[in-house]
Amino acid sequence: MLEQLPYIAAATVICLVLFVVIDILWKLPKKGGVSGAEAIANDIEATGGNKHGGYMIGNIITSPDASAGTLLAACGFFIYGVIGAVVAAVLVFIGARICADKGYAGLTGALAATAVIWACTTFLGFAPETFIAGIVLAILIVEVLSLKFSSKIIGKLWGKRT
Amino acid sequence: MIVEAICALAAVYSVIRVLLEKSTFKKLAYLNVLNFAVAGAIVLLLPHPITIGAAVAYFVGATLESNAIASTLAVGGEE
Amino acid sequence: MDILTLMAAFLILIGGIAALISKSAFNKLILLGVLTAGAVMLFVKNGYLDAAIAVSLLMPVGTLFILFLMGKKKEAAND
Repeated sequence: MLEQLPYIAAATVICLVLFVVIDILWKLPKKGGVSGAEAIANDIEATGGNKHGGYMIGNIITSPDASAGTLLAACGFFIYGVIGAVVAAVLVFIGARICADKGYAGLTGALAATAVIWACTTFLGFAPETFIAGIVLAILIVEVLSLKFSSKIIGKLWGKRT
Repeated sequence: MIVEAICALAAVYSVIRVLLEKSTFKKLAYLNVLNFAVAGAIVLLLPHPITIGAAVAYFVGATLESNAIASTLAVGGEE
Repeated sequence: MDILTLMAAFLILIGGIAALISKSAFNKLILLGVLTAGAVMLFVKNGYLDAAIAVSLLMPVGTLFILFLMGKKKEAAND
């Protein structure tokens, strides 16, 4: 059972890079989508964080984004293969419309995660459930360990893109 | 086995952070991590095709709840 | 004993007891979300997937009604 630990660490890094890159490509750190996301960004900035990183964390909290797409695509792939992951991507798109989100970040994240997970399980020998543990650890690193430092790092990446 | 242990530890740690945090907006961030861990745990409990629908429904419902709480708090706090 | 069953029991107990003790109305709503997460996990463990989907889609509706009733009061938003 412990021989899965290096695979889980690799899956954590893959998921972290995947959803941060897709969120920045869809310009999530630019502004808050709803009024709750702006309030979360202001609260993070008041305690020493970065405002654009706060916008991205607020958007992740208030609507299903690329991180949710990655998690649910991993869950679908674990149960039913590629078909389950695509069904999960369609359901994520409907859920993003329910939460008043006008973007396509959830759908794109789910489809990209499906492709990455299929490639890793077919060619590199990953077990499908390692990606569930990987995305849980990745979101734990971004949001729980220290909101101040993670928002500063995301703000620095966003400044490099513009 | 190790995957279940990781989901359980992430959930317990985020619940403890929710209990110890003062600001309501930061509590919503930690609650989001709890939702991720619970959605993963739902899938690990019962591998059946309809479980995908259950996991997506739980995640969207919890996200909508966080959205409503944050929006109400943002409008009420500014007045 | 399965570790995920222990996690669901922990979430239900901690959510319920902390929602009883907490003073602020928003904190009570957040901790009731923690309780519902544990309840949905127990539904899925015993195989009641339809009940899990219904509960997780109806939970934010109840939260929305409580927020509409509570949003007018300023003292509820400040603490």
